[in-house]
Amino acid sequence: MKIGEILGKIDRRIVFGFMAIVVIVPFFFPLNVTGKVAPPSQQLFDAVEEIQPDSKPLLISIDFDPQSMPELYPMLKAILRHAFSRNVRVCMMALWVTGVGLGEAALNEVAPEYGKVHGKDYVYLGWKPGFAAVVLGMGKSIPETFPTDQYGTPLESIPMMRGVKNFRDIPYAISISAGDPGALTLWIPYVQSRFGQKLGTGMTAVSAADAYPYLQSGQLTGLLGGMKGAAEYEHLVAEAGYSEASKPATQAMDSQSMAHLAIILLIVLGNIGFILTKGRK
Amino acid sequence: MKQGIPRLLCLVAGIVMIVQFFIPHPISEKIFSESLRWVRIISAFALVLGVRSITVHHGTRIIRKSSGWGYSLVALVAMVVTAVIGLFGGVDPHATALLPTSIGGFSFHLQVLYANLMVPLGATMFSILAFYMASAAYRSFRARNKEATVLLVAAFIVMIGMVPIGSAIWPKLPDIAQWLLNVPSMAAKRGILFGIALGSVATSLKIILGIERGWLGGGK
Amino acid sequence: MHLSPDLWVWVGALLTLFVFSFLFGDNPFYKFAEHLYVGVSVGYMIAIYYWNFFKPDLIEPLFGRGELILIVPLILGLCYLAIFIQKFSWVVRIPMGFVLGWGSGIAIPAVLQANVIKQIQGSLITSQTLAHWNTFVWSIVVLIGVITTVIYFFFSREQKGSLKVVANIGIIYIMIGFGASFGYTVMARISLLLGRLQFLLRDWLGVIH
Repeated sequence: MKIGEILGKIDRRIVFGFMAIVVIVPFFFPLNVTGKVAPPSQQLFDAVEEIQPDSKPLLISIDFDPQSMPELYPMLKAILRHAFSRNVRVCMMALWVTGVGLGEAALNEVAPEYGKVHGKDYVYLGWKPGFAAVVLGMGKSIPETFPTDQYGTPLESIPMMRGVKNFRDIPYAISISAGDPGALTLWIPYVQSRFGQKLGTGMTAVSAADAYPYLQSGQLTGLLGGMKGAAEYEHLVAEAGYSEASKPATQAMDSQSMAHLAIILLIVLGNIGFILTKGRK
Repeated sequence: MKQGIPRLLCLVAGIVMIVQFFIPHPISEKIFSESLRWVRIISAFALVLGVRSITVHHGTRIIRKSSGWGYSLVALVAMVVTAVIGLFGGVDPHATALLPTSIGGFSFHLQVLYANLMVPLGATMFSILAFYMASAAYRSFRARNKEATVLLVAAFIVMIGMVPIGSAIWPKLPDIAQWLLNVPSMAAKRGILFGIALGSVATSLKIILGIERGWLGGGK
Repeated sequence: MHLSPDLWVWVGALLTLFVFSFLFGDNPFYKFAEHLYVGVSVGYMIAIYYWNFFKPDLIEPLFGRGELILIVPLILGLCYLAIFIQKFSWVVRIPMGFVLGWGSGIAIPAVLQANVIKQIQGSLITSQTLAHWNTFVWSIVVLIGVITTVIYFFFSREQKGSLKVVANIGIIYIMIGFGASFGYTVMARISLLLGRLQFLLRDWLGVIH
């Protein structure tokens, strides 16, 4: 059998096994290669850095669910660590009903690391139905859209929300987004454009390339693309001395690199097989 | 009446929402604010349709003892148990609720079910796509012509340039990948965005004006 | 190796392996996991809908504070349930008409503003782009890319002569755009797998830190 035919007939289980080995091995034998921080990630970090401590809150919207958690959850935790270490207040909400628990889990994990208290240093508004109606409502009045927080406490009795009426009182908003509703479909057209809200996003790598037109036009101030974006943010937070916590996205980057090389190798091999077979025909 | 009232409501709601954007008068602002509340309430009822659809689908399979009816039982039991724990156990783990959500040190609070059932299941469902994508890329991603070759080269540059190994291979690679995303790729995405935006505006106008009536379904 | 002592971690690990078993073909373990996921997700949504919406935004204001105006959207919402009665199933069109009209009405100015006007502004050559040679050159490259991409998509008549040349340039840009998206998609899918491997190797088996 010729090489071209052999390459064309490799069983998919061999490909599966090869991929499994390629992604698992670097966890045990890390290369510890550090990459460059992409400018959009630096932009997002700088925007959070500019928020005044103990003042108006950073708004974070959980626009994802467990299906994209490995990419987006590490960036959510890194952003929270950045904010809490600088005493920046955080107001969190969710637009995906199946993502509500992720916001809660992240706050429960990160807030105690910095001794932050619910109601004073952060608040979780939870979720409301209606997508565009929710964010447009927040542009009018946050307490009317979210009369209570996730746990039923009236917003007016939450100390850090006093004086926070609408987007004019939000210095920066970040949508951690896995699709629709999210940064590109909801926050940019209905919030950034209409209310002039300064906006950044952390999004799944699948849609990261689609965000670049908005970055260039200035509608987005900062972008974290996928787990690589999360790793860059973890690096920035650690480098600035804000956190010594574990960095799951950074830990996975060696496997990520190896997997990319493996897929390129597979595509090249597939094409060699294709060219050799075509040449014979 | 069966089509006229819904179409009239659609027309009026659409026009009022366009007008309020351009004329920020206190009256239009008031109408807009109230409409936001209404839409949130109406949207929530879509849940009932979803729950009904799942219950009927799996319920029918159980009653008819169709093949794999046991799995339908798993789905329905899981739905009812989670809903009961959530509804009567509450969402706040620190508040007292009708239903206790822990026995001794073992908690089965809604958030615990979420973190230990929904999260592993949901996250793993999509993670297996990595294997299928590798296999599909190996079998189907061919440089058959110059356009496909350009696509392939751009993909390779982004794939290597955007991960840490890229800068180890060649320090300029991340910059080239970033340029690719910032300049030619961005230009193409913007061109496509114009098309999508104008298309969605046209569709919205057709819905408001009653030219697009697919949502009315069949019948009169 | 430090195996997790937490029962829930073991449950999560087992379910993760059940889903991974699909790689060897459809099987009862995968089907169980799939149906469990559907059931738990819907049950979770029911609870969140009640606590986050029905109780604070409908039941309490309407029955507790007597905000009678909410009867109107309540009735409109209840119209959705008419779909269960064949004779009155057309009633479901009423809330649909309102929500569709409302959504279309707010979408038109928002989309025009965010995705057309602001994007055109972003493509223009301004005094800022003239400040450095590279920003100027890349702005020209972007402008050419946007125009040629739009021409490729919008001119549906036969593309020949100069139009074909322009459209061909557009195709090159589009292919680079698709290539970039593919590269990023590979990254996304691998990341999802890595997240689950971290859970198994770190949280469950304790063989990595």
